[in-house]
Formats: sequence, structure tokens, C-alpha cells
Amino acid sequence: MVAVSEASYSLEGVGSAGRSAHSGECPVARADDHAGAGRPLVLKGAGLRSTMFRRVLQLGLGPGLLTRGLSTRRGVSTLDWDAKVSEFKKKIECILPGKPWETQLYDTSHLPPEQSDVVIIGGGIFGLSVAFWLKKLEKKQDAIRVLVVDQDHTYSQASSAGLSVGGIWQQFSMPENVRLSLFSVEFLRNINEYLAVVDAPPVDLRFNPSGCLLLASEKDAAALENNVKIQRQEGAKVCLMSPEQLQNKFPWVNTEGVALASYGMENEGWFDAWSLLQGLRRKVRSMGVLFCQGEVTRFITSSSCVEGPNGEEMVLKRIHKLHVKMDKSLEYQPVECAIVINAAGAWSGHIAKLAGIGKGPPGTLQGTKLPVEPRKRYVYLWHCPQGPGLETPLVADTSGVYFRREGLGSNYLGGCSPTEEEEPDPANLEVDHDFFQNKVWPHLAQRVPAFQTLKVQSAWAGYYDYNTFDQNGVVGPHPLVVNMYFATGFSGHGLQHALGVGRAVAEVVLEGEFKTINMSPFLFTRFYLEDKLQEYNIL
Amino acid sequence: MLKIILPSIMLLPLTWFTNNKTLWTNTTCHSLMISLISLSLLHQDSTNSYNFSTTFFSDPLSTPLVILTTWLLPLMLLASQNHLSKEQENYKKMYISLLTLLQVFLIMTFTATELMLFYILFEATLIPTLIIITRWGNQTERLNAGLYFLFYTLIGSIPLLISLINFNNTFGTLNLVLLSLKQPALSQSWSNHILWLAFMLAFLVKMPLYGVHLWLPKAHVEAPIAGSMVLAAVLLKLGGYGMMRISILLDMVNKTMAYPFIMLSLWGMVMTSSICMRQTDLKSLIAYSSVSHMALVIVAVMIQTPWSFMGATALMIAHGLTSSLLFCLANSNYERTHSRTMMLAQGLQTILPLMGVWWMLGSLANLALPPSINLIGELLIITSSFSWSNLSILMMGMNMIMTAAYTFYMLISSQRGKLTNHTKFLPPTHTRESTIMSLHIIPIILISINPKLILGLP
Repeated sequence: MVAVSEASYSLEGVGSAGRSAHSGECPVARADDHAGAGRPLVLKGAGLRSTMFRRVLQLGLGPGLLTRGLSTRRGVSTLDWDAKVSEFKKKIECILPGKPWETQLYDTSHLPPEQSDVVIIGGGIFGLSVAFWLKKLEKKQDAIRVLVVDQDHTYSQASSAGLSVGGIWQQFSMPENVRLSLFSVEFLRNINEYLAVVDAPPVDLRFNPSGCLLLASEKDAAALENNVKIQRQEGAKVCLMSPEQLQNKFPWVNTEGVALASYGMENEGWFDAWSLLQGLRRKVRSMGVLFCQGEVTRFITSSSCVEGPNGEEMVLKRIHKLHVKMDKSLEYQPVECAIVINAAGAWSGHIAKLAGIGKGPPGTLQGTKLPVEPRKRYVYLWHCPQGPGLETPLVADTSGVYFRREGLGSNYLGGCSPTEEEEPDPANLEVDHDFFQNKVWPHLAQRVPAFQTLKVQSAWAGYYDYNTFDQNGVVGPHPLVVNMYFATGFSGHGLQHALGVGRAVAEVVLEGEFKTINMSPFLFTRFYLEDKLQEYNIL
Repeated sequence: MLKIILPSIMLLPLTWFTNNKTLWTNTTCHSLMISLISLSLLHQDSTNSYNFSTTFFSDPLSTPLVILTTWLLPLMLLASQNHLSKEQENYKKMYISLLTLLQVFLIMTFTATELMLFYILFEATLIPTLIIITRWGNQTERLNAGLYFLFYTLIGSIPLLISLINFNNTFGTLNLVLLSLKQPALSQSWSNHILWLAFMLAFLVKMPLYGVHLWLPKAHVEAPIAGSMVLAAVLLKLGGYGMMRISILLDMVNKTMAYPFIMLSLWGMVMTSSICMRQTDLKSLIAYSSVSHMALVIVAVMIQTPWSFMGATALMIAHGLTSSLLFCLANSNYERTHSRTMMLAQGLQTILPLMGVWWMLGSLANLALPPSINLIGELLIITSSFSWSNLSILMMGMNMIMTAAYTFYMLISSQRGKLTNHTKFLPPTHTRESTIMSLHIIPIILISINPKLILGLP
């Protein structure tokens, strides 16, 4: 159709920019002729002939120009040769040797590889620990391809990174937990031998071995004593203190309501979780593990029916591929994998649901879900110049409130686990300051009178990968989804167990059984068998 | 000869016009029938060669290779059924057509009378193989692999073209039957040395010789199963076959020029066997083992005694069947665990015992256990190279030990050991897979009873 503008003699039609190089003499309005050649300009309205005449005059009448100006363009106008030729020339230039040709093809460097032997979902401390031990325990160099997928490479919501309190203690009631913590301490003490990377600075963990003090009231005293016996059997150095001994050692404590206290004398304290994470990341990268930022959205599985030991039908699933979706886009990459490790922390339950774990009638093995869900916990940082001072251990009160010293400037940080009824909504990481005022401060002030005059400096919130069943971790393979392994659910004390758990999972993947620390009580099947592993004190 | 070539060509319309449901059945059965026809070549009534026409002939050297090629096509089709099951019908048919086309070219290559026809078809076999590797391979590295494969072989064969044309001009004919009647006598001049190199380079790259072998691990690992099978079993033998044919033309010069390449092959044999022991990828291990066996064939062809030629042909056929079998076994692992890493699939003997039998037989064949044809080939080559030079027995002996070592390493790490959780519930062996393995083993056993068939002399 025709669009003739009187006032502006601008070029119309496709690719007029290219053509202006030829017809540089004067701009002319032409008919955009799709149908073919030879149709004259169809103008509407009166004064048409005068417009045409004016235009002809302005063309500066050469004979060729006249015919070109007034007649319509043949079909060439829609093809835009000039732009195509220049694009083609650019492509040829890029393909010639010596020029980078990746710019012509779509850049896929942000996508994960199409195939990987092991895919670790979650790049926090558990994921990195499993990757590290897989690479360390493989018998030949570069035998296994490992890919770590994390949805946020800045770790802004990761529980084991900057948000973590970073404590480590051996005072557990399960002997495996004690062993895991002891192994972690040995790892942390020799961290620069484990995580050495050529030309990189050593890892500075800022490990404060100030110990951990657990206070028990009358009703918990017997359990505490029992636990200490188990811990001592495993080799932890813990001592029991009566209220008088407690008052002598830590004069700032108010021993009212305390029947017994257990104090770890060695290998307990806190460290900088962020530097551990960064050190691990650097080392794991140097060992050849690939990283990718993305979200796992789908598993492609195949199932087969087998007959169980009692003759019942079981449906076994095997994961063949998983889809990794890129951040803020719909693009995804299918990754073919042999083994999947679920180390997604607070989001492990969601990943397990994607893999079909828990789809079935409740009460059966198929219907047993992975009971890990995110729970929000607050950590508050306050300043108290009259506070306990440099000798403060990590103190866990009878009421569930805990605190520790932070730095050398009379700062302390701590928090409390809320009861089931007061669980905050885990949808976001907003801090509730009233929680401190109402639930934490009274107990703090009661236990340490100096804390009556504290001043809160800042607070943050983080997720626990909370195991709603028994608040202890899930480690090892799933009985029905045969190539998914778990390393998650440690509900707040994951950071200190991660290194040992990583080694345990690597042993199961590579050799088929737990070799150093036997983590079989932590297998998934305990959820089906209703076998709880209760921990006495959950911080 | 047309009785084999025409039915093979007619497999192409068969794949395109057949019913989708019976695609695999039809193509496999018809290619099996063609392989049965090819057995008729074994009946040689003339002492020199079985001349079909002026274009095609077959003699005891090329007959076993033709039979191997035609035997392999139904096996390739059986092996590819699983990984192609999710493709569109048109792509499946395209894949089968490429395999068929490759088979046609290969049959014609092995039976060509004119060396020029041989050369054209030699080059033509590259194209379907390249398409199979780059389009249907599994990893992103397949593009790199295809590139290496194509350019290594092409660069080797351009000098071959030039020297063939030159030879035709100076001597008058390139017909192998005629050439066997009158051998050209080449003098020991520099240009004849370069002529020798130009002739042989293509085949040395194809074999592959140790220095120019880089394309082989890449191509074998990245190719899909049918690609790996045909590459290992037949395409490598093109090099050996070509060398044996061309050496008629290069009689005098061979005595001096062969020396460095025999050295390189002896050394390469030991080197690639040692690399095998360090491999973590199963297919890569089998690929390097192929290089090692072919180095033996190169040594044998260069030495040029009757015993070494017999050993070379026997080893080519034996290795073709064994290597193809090992690749099928590795593929059966890969289809179950989706990973080629050996560490992740261990202890399989407990859950897949029948597959364990095939693994055992294949590994025993690979390490040249008596009385298999692998042993006959290797034995003849070792003895003839010992007579060529006493010192070569050191390298040969070391190679035999290391072959046994890496073969057992492969067998034990995949079959014995503790089952890991993700391998406990692998799907059981399909009948189709057992069929492929047995169809590889049965010829090895049958030919071991009558090895005269493959010894390459009338």
C-alpha cells in the first residue's frame, strides 16, 4: 500500500537505510510495492497531480532518475541486499582463522555441561564438602565429572555461609555426631593442608577455641551426664561442673536454676564459616569440579517394578536427566547424570518432592516424604561493655537461648530457637525484633546479669534445614530413587558436621558403604521405620 | 560381487519405505541375509583370486574383511536400537541409511580392483562416519572429535591421491590383478622414498600409527555405539588392507623406509598399553587398546614375510570382532548408568551374571588367550618380528604382559568389587544385548576351529 507524505519526503519501505547510499541525491517517497512491478503511484485526494509534479521537479530531472523516481521499486526492496551482504561479510570475517568465532554463535558459557557423572544440587557447605571428598577419594585423577548447581552464587540465603553463627562443639548425644564434630575439628586445624591451592593465600578461619558451655536444669541433669559419658567415650574432652564450680570459673553467670553444666575444654568454639566456604570453593574448583548457577526444576526418571523381599511390588526409580533452569529466564539445560546428590539445605524437601519422593499413600515407603523444610531463625548482635569478656564460651542456656562472643570489642551474638507455636513464617528473611525483646532478652538477662544493659547492634535471619522428624541429618541413598543420595537436614548444626558427612557420602558413592564413620543410623529408611534419633539439645 | 552390493544398496529403499513398526526387524533380517550371501566368497576356486569382473575381485585377504563388514551391519543395527528409540522416525531411517551407505562403500573398497576406485571409496567412507559421529554422538566434544577424525585422515590421503595418479601415469595401470603379474621395480632414490611415504601415510594415519593416533580415542569415545563398532572393527582395517595392497608397488623401497615406522609402532604399542592402565573412561580404554593391537599389525605389514602377513590378517579379523564386542559391552554399561566412568559401575557380576560371561569371554579374547584367533595372529606376528630382529621380542613380550594387565583391570573393576547403591538396581540384560554379544563370540570360536579361513594365504 501507499503512504505518501507531503510534508516529509522521507524514505519508506523496508531497508531504506541501505538504499539511501545509492539514491543519495534526494529523498523520495516511494510506493512500497509488494505485488509486483509497474503499478503507478496511487494517490488519494485532490491536488495529487500537483504534488507529483512538484516532486518530479525536485528530483532534478535526469532521465534515469525520472523513471526511477516515479516508477515503483521491483521486488528487491523487500530483500534488503545491502544489509544482508554486510552481515554475511561480517560472518565470513569471524570464521577466518585468527578471529574469535564464539561471538557469532550463541554464547552458552553460563549453561551447565550436557553430561556430568555426579550432579550435586546445592553449593553450600554440604555440597562443596561432598564435591571435595568425591574428588579426593577418586582413585585416579579426573575419573569423575562433578557438577555443583546452586541457585544463588552470592550465597545470600545460604545457611552455611555468612549467616551462620559458626559454632562447633562435640556435646551431642549421638556418638556419630560426636565423631563427626571431632573429625571436623581435625580438618579445620589442618585446613591449609587439605585445602591448599597453588598460588592462593592460606585460609584464615579465625577459629576461637573458647569451648561450649551447656547448662542443664534439674530435670535434664541426668540426660546431660549420660551424654557426657558417651562423648568422653568417643574422645571428646568434656567436663562436668556443679553450680559452685561454674560460678568459680565464670563469675558472670547467674547459676540459679542450673543443676549441672558441661563444658568442652578442647576442640570447641566457633570459626568463620564464610572463609571455610570460600576456601572449599577455591579448592574444589582447582580439583576440576564445574560450577553452575541455576535452579533444578525437573527430573527425568525411569521406573521399574521389582519384587521386594516379602513379595510386595516396589517401584524403583532412576534419575536419568535433570533440568537446570537459568536465573531470571526461561532457558534451561538438560544435564544427563548418573548420580544426584541432594545437598540443597533448606530446600532439600522441595528437591525431593520434584524427584517423586513422597508420592504415594502415607505410611508406605513410597509415601514417606523427606521431612526437611526451611525454618527461619534469627541471630542478634549486641554490644555490652560490661559483658562477660574475652573468656566467654558458646553458652547454651536451659531455656534454649544461646550466645557467644563476637570479635574483641565486647560484641556478642546469639539467639533462640522458637517453640513450635511461635515458628516464624519462612517465606522471607525479615527480622522480628520483638522476638528478641520478648523471648531472648529476658532469659539472657536472667542468666548473665550484665546483659541487662545491652544494646542490639544488628540482626539477621537465616534458614535452618530443619528435619521435622528428629532434627538430625539425613545421609545416604534413598531406598527407592536409587541414584539420589542425601546430605542434608542437620537442622542448625550442619556446618560442623558437613566435612565428615561429605566424606561419608563420597564413600557410599564410590565404594558402596560407609568406611570411616558409620552413618547408617542416619539413613532415609528411619523415617519409614519411625526410628527417631533424638538429640538432647538443639541450638 | 554384485550379488552382495546390489542387495546392500537396496537396503536403502528398504529403510525408507518400510513400516515404522517393523523398521528394525526388516533391516536387521535383510542385512543378516546379505551377510550370509557374502560367505559364498570363501569358496576360492582359482589360486590367485576370485575375479568377478574387471572392477571387483576378492582374494583370501579381502574375503574375510568383506564378510566381517557384512556381518557387522546387523550387529550395529541391533546395538543401536536403544539409544535411537527416542528419536523421530525420519532420523532413525537416516541413521540406518548412513550405516548402510557406509557398508556399501566398505564392501566396494575391499573388493575394488583398481586402486583409484579403492581410493575414492576409501575417502567416501569418511563422510557417513563423520555424520554419524557429529550428529548422534553423546557429548559436546563430538564436534572436536569429528574434526580431528576428518582432518587427520584427509591430510594423510591427499599425498596418496597424488602418488596414485603419478604411478598410473608412469606405470600405466593401477589394476591390482595386473600389478600382481608384473611388479614395478623402484630404485632407491630420494623421490622414491617420498613416494613411499606419500603412499603409506594415509594408511598409517588410518591404522593408526602411534604418532598420528590422536584422532582415534576422540572419535571412538564420542561416537555412538554403531559408529564405535564400525570404526574399531572395519575402518581401522582399511589401513592395514591398503598397506598390504600398496606394498606390491613399493617393493624395493620398502626395505629401507619401513624401518623407522616399525620402531615407532613397537614403541607405540608399549606406550598405548601403558596409557590403557591409567584410563578412567571405559571407552577410552578400549580405544587405546585398539591402537595397541593395530600397532602390531603395522609391524607385521612392514616386515613383509609370509608369516607376518598371515598374522596381520588374522589379527585384523580377530581384533575387529573383539574390539566391537568390547564396545558393545561398554555401551551396555553406559545405557544403564549414563556414565562412562569405570569407577561408577563396579561389581556388576553379581547383578548381571550373563553379561559377566560375555565380559569374561571378550576380555579373554582381547588378551589373546589360546586357542583364539587373537593368539594365532599375535603369535605369528611375534615370531616373524623375532626373526626380523631378535631384540623386538622385548617390546612384544612387554606388550603381551601389559595387554593382559589392562584387560584384567577392565574386567575386574567392572565385574568384581562391591556394588554401590546406584548400581544395585540396574535393569537386567536384554535378550537383544545377549544376542549381540553371542553373535560376536560365536564367529571368534568358530574361526578358532578353522583359522585357515582368515590367514590370508590361499
